[in-house]
Amino acid sequence: MEHVIIGSSAAGVAAAETIRRLAPADNITMISAEAGPVYSRCLLPNLLAGSRSVDGLLFRSKDFYRKNRITPILGVRADGVDSGAKNIFLQDGRKIPYDKLLIATGASTAMPPVPGLDGPGVFGLRSLADAQGILARIPAVRRAVVVGAGLVGLETAYALYRRGLEVTVVEKMSQVLPNQFDPVAAFIILREMQAEGIRFVLGRGIKEIAGPTMWQRLFGKSGMGVVLEDGERLKAELVVVATGTRCNVDLAQGSGIQVNRGIKVNAYMATSIADIFAAGDVAETVDLVTGQEGLSPIWPNAINQGKIAGFNMAGVMRKYSPLIGQQNAVEFRALPAIAVGLTNPKGEQYEVLINHCPVRNHYKKLVLDKDKLVGMVLVGDISKAGLYAGLIKKRANVQPVKDCLLDQGFSYAHFLRHSA
Amino acid sequence: MKRITVAAEKCNGCLSCTHACMAAHSASGTIMGALAEGVQARIHVEAVNGRPVPLLCCHCEEPACVDACMTGAMQKDPVSGIVANEGNEQACVGCWMCIMACPYGVIVPKAGEPRIALKCDGCKDRPVPACVEGCPNFALVWEEVDACAAGKRQSAAKELVA
Repeated sequence: MEHVIIGSSAAGVAAAETIRRLAPADNITMISAEAGPVYSRCLLPNLLAGSRSVDGLLFRSKDFYRKNRITPILGVRADGVDSGAKNIFLQDGRKIPYDKLLIATGASTAMPPVPGLDGPGVFGLRSLADAQGILARIPAVRRAVVVGAGLVGLETAYALYRRGLEVTVVEKMSQVLPNQFDPVAAFIILREMQAEGIRFVLGRGIKEIAGPTMWQRLFGKSGMGVVLEDGERLKAELVVVATGTRCNVDLAQGSGIQVNRGIKVNAYMATSIADIFAAGDVAETVDLVTGQEGLSPIWPNAINQGKIAGFNMAGVMRKYSPLIGQQNAVEFRALPAIAVGLTNPKGEQYEVLINHCPVRNHYKKLVLDKDKLVGMVLVGDISKAGLYAGLIKKRANVQPVKDCLLDQGFSYAHFLRHSA
Repeated sequence: MKRITVAAEKCNGCLSCTHACMAAHSASGTIMGALAEGVQARIHVEAVNGRPVPLLCCHCEEPACVDACMTGAMQKDPVSGIVANEGNEQACVGCWMCIMACPYGVIVPKAGEPRIALKCDGCKDRPVPACVEGCPNFALVWEEVDACAAGKRQSAAKELVA
């Protein structure tokens, strides 16, 4: 059996390892547009901050391909799929045949439709190449603007700040982490980062990135002007755009594979075409909490989906376990925060339990939909985060423990049989 | 494969297991030394309705923490079955994804530097885990999982026919 996996990050690696374990005699080929050993893009902010070297980003050993008897084709992009003849086409003209194909191509930075984003000092932060481009520019940078206060934006801002740059974060919404955390937790995090020295502009988006004016160029200045919606102009020598991502579905165009925002898959990670699977940031699954189809571009879900795809590709039918799209963990300035599921519910049917101790910066919020936990925010004390997340994932009936759900001492022990 | 099994009805909440764990993971190797160093225990004794319940990592067959780990530091040893984020090729970075993933809530952030996640490491350098050795009530048992299951089946059967 010839297994071909396009994409060598979380989902691709998880699938390859699973197939190798279940089908020791099968052939596995992995194709990646990036050359070099497999690395964790979640650690790119650490590379920017200087706390990790490039070798410190590797999430498998350098001999990963050899150890797992995988044929790697690195530094080459896959261009298209011929599902009839069961071939994929590479950028360099090669044709690779497959019996089972996994598309784990992930996503790329989505640049907003704003002029000037193709300039030399403007970067996304998605790949090692992005990070190395930013690092190369840093010696000439005093001021940086990060566009977007989501997870990547804040991590990037913090990392650049630790490098000694003056950082301003511009966010269109009125709070940081608008998709992940509720306003109270977002404000606690904002205050910590502001106290650290990072500047925030909230409630305004960007209109344009302007190059240096003629006057500035006369004086040898090469900085940019980040022009906001209301006309205010921020000066910067570096702009990092972190406003969201776009699934890398280009190679599926014209192949007949059903694509929405991502590649649609069923419970077995299979696409609409036989023997073609998709997993990771590129795949569209059903979110456990919202019940809707959507993307779940987070690392643990990519690993989980890759593993399940691997099972099914190796002939062992297995459904993916319920996935929550929103699962986020951050820590800035010694203040950890975790948010899972529906943290900012709109509607009468939700019951919200809150425990807030502002003096200690401790915040605990649980969102219930009748008997089930559907959302959780923890700031300050995150040690039971997995317990609550597990209750959300299991759709557990929390009525029996509702009166102690918010307690400091609430633990898994409350569910063990003999504790009843 | 040997695992630490818990006979919670024998636990009296003395916390000897937590102290033994602290001592085993301290520089000084003693309980007083561990308390002075501020070493955290990796086994937790929780209180439910006034009764103590020991909770510790089960070194799961399909560990959620391993899937969540984005540095590759958290691994399940293929031989011993122990799940740990220390002693592997990749280093933990303290991102807390494993804490978010563990449904039993037995992973905690390590206090102070370096910023890493703290969990039961199966005492891989000891013949018997420290907590098991430290328990005076036989509430923690170091035994083969199959033997534990067989024992429970036998006592359940005996109760049925009694």
